Amino acid sequence: MADKFDAIVIGSGVSGGWAAKELTEKGLKVLMLDRGVMVEHGENYDYDGKPAYEIPARDMMPKALVESDYFIAKHGYISPSNQKFYNNDRLNPYAYGEGEKFYWIRPGAVGGKSLIWGRWSFRWSPEDFEANKRENVGIDWPIRYDDLAPWYDYVEKYIGVSGSRENLPQLPDSAFQPPMQMNIAEKWVKERLEATSPGRKLINTRLSNITEDKEDQGRTKCQFRNQCGRGCSFGAYFSTQAVTLPAARATGRLTLRSDALVSNLEYDPKTKRVTGVRVVDAKTKQAEVIPARLVFLCASALASTQILMNSRIPGSGKSHFDTSGTLGRYVMDHIFRVGISGDIPGMTDYIEYGRRPGGVYIPRFRNVGGEEGIGFRRGYGYQGSARRDPAQPVGFGASMKQGMRGYGPWKFGMGAFGECLPYEDNRVSLHPDKVDRFGVPLMRFDVTFRDNEIRMMDDARTEGEAMLRKAGLTNVRSERREHVPGDAIHEMGGARMGADPRQSVLNKWSQAHDAANLFVTDGAQMASISCVNPSLTFMALTARAADYAVKQMKAGTI
Amino acid sequence: MIIDRRDALAGMAAMFGASLFAPIARAAGAQVPPISDGPPSAPVFTAQQRALMTALSERVMPTTDTPGAITAGVPAFIEKLLADWASPDDRKPILAGLDTIEARSQADYKVAADKATPAQQDALLTLAMEDKLPGGKDFFDKFRQLVLTGYFTSEVGITQEREYLPVPGRYDGAYLYSEVNKVFSS
Repeated sequence: MADKFDAIVIGSGVSGGWAAKELTEKGLKVLMLDRGVMVEHGENYDYDGKPAYEIPARDMMPKALVESDYFIAKHGYISPSNQKFYNNDRLNPYAYGEGEKFYWIRPGAVGGKSLIWGRWSFRWSPEDFEANKRENVGIDWPIRYDDLAPWYDYVEKYIGVSGSRENLPQLPDSAFQPPMQMNIAEKWVKERLEATSPGRKLINTRLSNITEDKEDQGRTKCQFRNQCGRGCSFGAYFSTQAVTLPAARATGRLTLRSDALVSNLEYDPKTKRVTGVRVVDAKTKQAEVIPARLVFLCASALASTQILMNSRIPGSGKSHFDTSGTLGRYVMDHIFRVGISGDIPGMTDYIEYGRRPGGVYIPRFRNVGGEEGIGFRRGYGYQGSARRDPAQPVGFGASMKQGMRGYGPWKFGMGAFGECLPYEDNRVSLHPDKVDRFGVPLMRFDVTFRDNEIRMMDDARTEGEAMLRKAGLTNVRSERREHVPGDAIHEMGGARMGADPRQSVLNKWSQAHDAANLFVTDGAQMASISCVNPSLTFMALTARAADYAVKQMKAGTI
Repeated sequence: MIIDRRDALAGMAAMFGASLFAPIARAAGAQVPPISDGPPSAPVFTAQQRALMTALSERVMPTTDTPGAITAGVPAFIEKLLADWASPDDRKPILAGLDTIEARSQADYKVAADKATPAQQDALLTLAMEDKLPGGKDFFDKFRQLVLTGYFTSEVGITQEREYLPVPGRYDGAYLYSEVNKVFSS
């Protein structure tokens, strides 16, 4: 029987969009599935460019609606202007209860998290791919930085990443568009911080917001509205809708289905191949199995893991793809809830014109260049910015109103993102008896931070305060709030890659050890998580895997 | 049918665990509830309370060289927010504070507080601000925040009191405040 589609891509986010683009451009007929609602570029960005008074509830989520329907999404950045892009936690729940605390912040629309992501885009470093082996932590990555470098180049040139060249070994430069400028106060902090904390740097953010037009893609450079999460009709930031979906559609070989939930993969143990994808229509609940020669699973780290776990050997409950016994394990998320702030003296004649997305970045400085004996492994970086808020006079009446026409002092704030180590018993699993409205077992979480993460958070707080004080900021203060895993929305792992099929789910091509025609190219494959944002690396890994998969198809091995 | 609904709720509760039963019970259904727009689903204030709330909102954010709270539609915003967007508990300190101010006005000025002079209303608000009325500071802080939120999310607040740049088009991180002498709307 001839397949109607050469390949099925499950998920349409950062990874799925890239898979669809690459596979269609290489000649394959592709079906891309997303469980969420359709959102067309421009047409369905309902609140793009609108002021608060033209947005329901002045763009503040009604409390009752948050409690009833978005009790997990509230830990993300949901508001009425982007509500459509988020998961409804009542309709699509997971097992969230005592001992299962995890914030699984999911999207609910075509484009996935590419519509609502933070857009900070960094290459991972050679160290990130080597540390597991050197420290004997987790499993050795089966790839190195050099395997990925040309693919970073490839995706960066296409999507457009703005940033500055810094020549830092722990943070390799991308193929950059010009950076967004620092404001006058950030320049002040940079100068003093780098002078008083030798070896540490404060640099421009690296952001998937373009600073030069990409006319061939119909994309206009960033207009400094900083309302990216509502969708951007200018196409100024990377999203599936603005970047990869138009490319895939232009081939004439893409079929995109929204409201299409994948419950599991069908598998033939004799041939060790995925034979099809079981899809449930989210509106009618009608299920069907769609055959495919090749499957790219890009449903997000933990949703992909869920689909793999729910593809079970009849009568056994064990996944077809878990020969290694590692499926669902080594789940990670960045440490996140450490914040430091301080006041910057002077420069009160100046304010910001325009609303710049992003900010500034202090790259990792711990455990680089032979530094040892600091009590924890790996490291962290800080994302921050300087700004002036409107003045906050007390009281009421005309004098208060007049006072509010001015600005308060410049303030600098930053938060640490740090690396969490892979632990075998940080795991997700299928609930034994609770299922969702499509009959799919709910996901359960058993993920906690350990001593290394706690020490790192303490260090990030102490060092951050000390750096800002030495740089001359005043009123420096910090906080370390409870960090529930998932909170950073950088969840990764669950189907790690590795050279040994007995210890990993995927090989060095993001290809399942147990099925040659199955590739998992989202965050599930990560064997460690660096301390920098991961999406750019998902893109590079996806493009690399698509290239390999199509070559293997042409060679007849898939 | 009631029995079907109860079964459905029990099933949902089993999924989430009992701790989440209450919110789900309010919104079990296959659709996402829309955000309520338009007039309040039910009145929050008595006519007297509404008149006082309206008058006090204007005292907090008065008309000067730009319009004040009333022109900006702040009173309607506050009632809508308390009716449909905030939690029911959020009404309590506002309603209690208005009643306390009303009683104090009757005692001190022998006049309904909404009919008191602006100077008398300012004096009453100051008593609340300085916590010289029962629950006064709690009321003042929350009411003031409601007024400011309503005002600075209104068309008046965004486009007249502040400077609105729908599409700034560029970024200047060292722009002279004296070029605008206002705050840019976010």
